Amino acid sequence: MTLTQTERARLSEFARIMLPGGSGMAGADDLRLWNDPVDRVLAVEPALIEPMRRILATLGCVETLNDIETVARTDPEGFKALATVLANAYFMHEKVRAEIGYPGQEARDSSLGLSEADIALIDKVRSAFVTWRRSC
Amino acid sequence: MAGTYSDVVIVGAGPSGAVAALELARAGMSVTVLEQGGWVAADEFDGARPEWELTQLRKWHPNPNVRGRPEDYPIDAAKSDINPLMFAGVGGAALIYGAHWVRFMPSDFRVRTLDGVADDWPFTYEDLAPFYEYVEEAMAVSGLSGNPAYPDGAPCPLPPLPMGRVGRKAAHGMNKLGWHWWPGSNAIPSRAWRGLQPCVLRGTCGTGCSDGAKATPDRTHWPEALKLGVRLVTGARVGEVTTDAQGRASGAVWTDRGGVRHHARGDVVILCANGIGTPRLLLMSGLGNRSGLVGRRLMMHPYAGVMGIFDEDLESWVGPAGQILVSMQFYETDVSRGFVRGAKWNCMPAGGPQSFRAGYTGGTLTEGWGAALHESVRRKFGRSFEWGIIGEDLPDSENRIVLSSSLSDSDGLPAPEIHYRMSDNTHRMLAFHTARAVEAMEAAGAIATEVTPLIRDCGWHLMGTAVMGTDRERSVVDPFGQVHDVPNLFVMDGATFPTSSGMNPTATIMAVAARSVLHLIETRSDLSPA
Repeated sequence: MTLTQTERARLSEFARIMLPGGSGMAGADDLRLWNDPVDRVLAVEPALIEPMRRILATLGCVETLNDIETVARTDPEGFKALATVLANAYFMHEKVRAEIGYPGQEARDSSLGLSEADIALIDKVRSAFVTWRRSC
Repeated sequence: MAGTYSDVVIVGAGPSGAVAALELARAGMSVTVLEQGGWVAADEFDGARPEWELTQLRKWHPNPNVRGRPEDYPIDAAKSDINPLMFAGVGGAALIYGAHWVRFMPSDFRVRTLDGVADDWPFTYEDLAPFYEYVEEAMAVSGLSGNPAYPDGAPCPLPPLPMGRVGRKAAHGMNKLGWHWWPGSNAIPSRAWRGLQPCVLRGTCGTGCSDGAKATPDRTHWPEALKLGVRLVTGARVGEVTTDAQGRASGAVWTDRGGVRHHARGDVVILCANGIGTPRLLLMSGLGNRSGLVGRRLMMHPYAGVMGIFDEDLESWVGPAGQILVSMQFYETDVSRGFVRGAKWNCMPAGGPQSFRAGYTGGTLTEGWGAALHESVRRKFGRSFEWGIIGEDLPDSENRIVLSSSLSDSDGLPAPEIHYRMSDNTHRMLAFHTARAVEAMEAAGAIATEVTPLIRDCGWHLMGTAVMGTDRERSVVDPFGQVHDVPNLFVMDGATFPTSSGMNPTATIMAVAARSVLHLIETRSDLSPA
């Protein structure tokens, strides 16, 4: 189940306002977020399509966040689905991840353990505390 | 109705059920375990995939009402301040736990004696210490021995995981204040350990470990238990513990996913279905409730969080998550604070970028979108972490589960209905602790802090609803989990806990289960009918 062109066009209106870009991050427009990035999300969570469609089917133009707030209040669950789709499409995008310095949940070596600096911090605790309380 | 027989029937394949099954099998007994969920392979978890933050919203959500899998039963939590959390599967809720591994403190076993509230446990920290050690080996606990908060230093079998930038930042703040902290101990191996892979520090522990590293019973206990012949039945929803003409437990009736009912007969029945599922089953079976305490005294650990935001990159998406540090600075009672008992703090990474989008403050629906989203992510992502606060929840007989008259699961069994209100003591406790955690963040150099006074989806720790004790009129089970009214029926999960402590309870749940089941094995001849 995919979005129609009409639905994508409507979704783009929301996306441009909710994710305008700034602070060194791309906007929805730069990423054409309502195409492949959104499809990628819906492929993983198809249950989000129907509630999102309800919001996209509402009438009236949306030009500001206040307009979207008005629409959102008519169907909070539908808006939640739309917001989830857009946010995930955005933050799963490689360009956005690069811009915010996020490599994703990458694998690292856990065997490095504690550093000498860590041990120095711990030594202060070791020498200063006996917080446990006798139980009898 | 199709039937089977084994020496022991266990309900639930989570941490306590796994301990019980394995020890019974090692002792040569035949065991059938009934688990309503199924197996989850490591590669089903999404931690290594970009959609990790998406699938945690539903598929791996800890609230069964949100997750809504066929094996989940619904929970009516409308009359509760907190949502109970759990997971149905081989390994239980541990599959999606944070693997924070902490022993209770010695004082936790003597609450009545020391503070004049609640009840003492029928045994001490020292009694339980060998069982802690025993389960910590099995659960690959990584940490630094010598924690001065414990009389024996709370030894750990594996070396600690790295503290990372987040841990060092938090530790600096605590040292500046002269407050206790210690590297966090986690059931996450820092080295390859038996069947477990070493941790790779993804910050995704709470949505399942995709690397086969986190210690969960499906990996630490079930392989050996199955090899020893334990019969583990998945997709088995138990609706009743049956009894014979003498009132002794005779087995359990369960329904498979095709709707067919079965009867698993056994000489002994052990309930390990968690602090909600176990009393639900006792109530549905009409067993063990002479004291009137089945389902009562529910404790769930109200949880608060303080996030600190810093002006430097802390890589705060890096795991474990998992606890990086702990603090017991304000764990013990100081009545001058205006409440009794205390809370443990755990220092946690902040997670992926979605943690910083949209509003969770009860404001507008579009709060946090537009330019504000970009500013917020730029300011906070990678630059913040949390001190989480687990407040000790004292038992209150009005906090309870009952059987719903209007909500049922997919097999028509009544859903649990939760009645739970936070006490004034807990409100004061969390207010005090969040204020101190703000100070800890500021001492560490935070440029801003954000306080979450109570997280509704925090009811991971389900305890107290089939309380243990020596007085049959004031408890449901004896100090080894034996139901007072039904001598061959046992409870071996957190439902038996007289008090909750301020600690994550899995270590204690597994240690108490080990203590109980080894006692059962030693004394099993006493269970034979007269």
